[in-house]
Amino acid sequence: MGLRFDLLLFTIALLSVPVLSDLILSRVDRRIDLTSQVVRTTSTLKVENAGSDLVSEVLLAFPDSQAKHLAYLSASSTEGKGKAKGSAVSFPVEIVHPKGMPPALTFYSVSLPKGLGKGDSLTLDVLVVFKGALQPFPEKITQADIQLVVFYETAYYLSPYAVKVQSLSVKLPDARIESFTKIENTKIHGSEIKYGPYENLPPFSYSPIVVHFEANQPFAIAQELVREIEISHWGNVQVTEHYNLVHGGAQSKGEFSRLDFQARPHVRGASAIRHLVAKLPPRVHSIYYRDEIGNISTSNLWGDHKKTEMVIEPRYPMFGGWRTAFTIGYSLPLQDFLFQSDGKRYVNISFGSPVNEVVIDTLIVKVVLPEGSADISVSAPFPVKQGQETKFSHLDLVGRPVVVLEKTNVVPEHNQHFQVYYKFSSLSMLTEPLMLISGFFFLFVTCIVYMHADLSISKSSPSYLAKLQWDEVQAAVQQVRNIINRCLMIHDKLEASLRDLSRTGDVQACKSARKAFDGLLKDLSKDLKPLLASLQTSPQAAQILPKVEELVGKERDLQERMMAKHSTVVDSYEKKSSGREIENRVALQQQKITALRQEVDDLLDLIDEI
Amino acid sequence: MAPKPITSPVPDAWYPTLSVFMLAIGLVVTASFFIYEATSSRRTRSLTKELITGAVASVFLGFGSLFLLLASGVYV
Repeated sequence: MGLRFDLLLFTIALLSVPVLSDLILSRVDRRIDLTSQVVRTTSTLKVENAGSDLVSEVLLAFPDSQAKHLAYLSASSTEGKGKAKGSAVSFPVEIVHPKGMPPALTFYSVSLPKGLGKGDSLTLDVLVVFKGALQPFPEKITQADIQLVVFYETAYYLSPYAVKVQSLSVKLPDARIESFTKIENTKIHGSEIKYGPYENLPPFSYSPIVVHFEANQPFAIAQELVREIEISHWGNVQVTEHYNLVHGGAQSKGEFSRLDFQARPHVRGASAIRHLVAKLPPRVHSIYYRDEIGNISTSNLWGDHKKTEMVIEPRYPMFGGWRTAFTIGYSLPLQDFLFQSDGKRYVNISFGSPVNEVVIDTLIVKVVLPEGSADISVSAPFPVKQGQETKFSHLDLVGRPVVVLEKTNVVPEHNQHFQVYYKFSSLSMLTEPLMLISGFFFLFVTCIVYMHADLSISKSSPSYLAKLQWDEVQAAVQQVRNIINRCLMIHDKLEASLRDLSRTGDVQACKSARKAFDGLLKDLSKDLKPLLASLQTSPQAAQILPKVEELVGKERDLQERMMAKHSTVVDSYEKKSSGREIENRVALQQQKITALRQEVDDLLDLIDEI
Repeated sequence: MAPKPITSPVPDAWYPTLSVFMLAIGLVVTASFFIYEATSSRRTRSLTKELITGAVASVFLGFGSLFLLLASGVYV
């Protein structure tokens, strides 16, 4: 109804508005794509400058009823013609409010940096995406009904300039077309309706058309999507997305029969959302899909070196008005997304949701940068609302800076890359291991302090004094043990020198070794004397003293016998007696030596146990 | 000028191996620290030796636990 009123206004205004500037649209071809839940209008305008001044902007007009659904507008032009087309150059677009225009219209101005000279023409490609422009009609359907939507448009291109030739083609999904407005020059080919060509229409001409058709493509609307992108310089980008989805088509009324849905899915529930397809970057890993209840296992993933595709099914098929909420998380390798240029680091990552064909009412992107990042700035291809907050995560002292970007009415065309620049010195990466190291060191220091601290209350009580004395006795015994062990090592070396003698026959070397060992043994026995003296005086050592003395005595005995054996063997070698004789001579000594050695070892073990 | 991608200073593939070796060495040094504490008496103990052993052990344990966290997926 509002449209009829607008039409009235236009026809009145039409007669009273002056012609705007000198531009003429010599050819307008419009293609409206209704095969998805967003309406995509691609218009190719051939703009001609019929006047004599340089024109630097082109105005695009939309009725307010359409403009409130406008989510994305881009204007570009390709250099060259036909096969020699170069890359597209896009022009900046902004909303303007020119004076003297008919009411209820919104104007966008495309600025041409090079301007359009007299007589020049320019081909402009304008892509406009509308969100929520397809209205379900009827608004409530049961499970068995088909979902029909209605779309309002104008067959004549609404423009402040005169249009010489224009045509419109509306592409509908491959399903039932309920009805469409038939005006002159209307043809239908399969699921495409062609209006036109129309010639020589004045500015602001308007001819409303209505198309009523069946739409079974998923109407997935994310009311709120929070995307958290956490950068870790140790090699990982973690993306977590929280979705709150609602089916934005015709509301479901009546009962839901699971039996009917599964038996005849295309008759009972053709418009339900059964699955969503998400396109992720290649080399993604550790993907999870869960909600408040837990993991959702109905998902599939396949990928190659160019992209990864994930198909997720919600826990139940979504009918009109039904909601679901879930979380998707995945990890990406750092080198694909973090780069260095001019002393600054920047993250280059996609802005929108990876799920195909989902529109978002409110999109919040949070980029969590590592601790110690400074000089943060954002560069995005379209205007976004920026904010900053702090997040405390693993091993954080002051928190990580978070850049919060917010945008409303996001359509899949907004899924472009944006960059966040920041400065970070590589040395700051060491704070994390340093924190762990200092934690462990604190434990060791606590241990040391505990061992060194003297926590006894009374320093003169008999038990405390007894403990002190026992510590001293233990120290002395320890040192005795060390000395005895060293003596035993020298005995072993003596044996080794005897074996060398039997191998090489070098008597001189053996004798010099013997001399050295003698000296060492004398020093060791000198060290032993004061220790024994202290042990004798101490009352605490009463138990252990006899054992220690026995040990020392046995060791001395062993020493003497070893020396005797050594001399015997050396003498025998000098006298050049045979091996058998030598063995016979030392046999007795050897037996005693072995027995004594065994006893010494036993005593050492016994002392250790005390 | 193509932008230079930034990677971690230590290659990803080394994280598990590095963590095992560093933790093993750290635990061995910790063991020697505690053996020294247990077997030495008050007079023979030396504070420098204790502090140095503790410092070396905590360096290895710190790095080992960092690489353990990274290898298990907690990218700190």
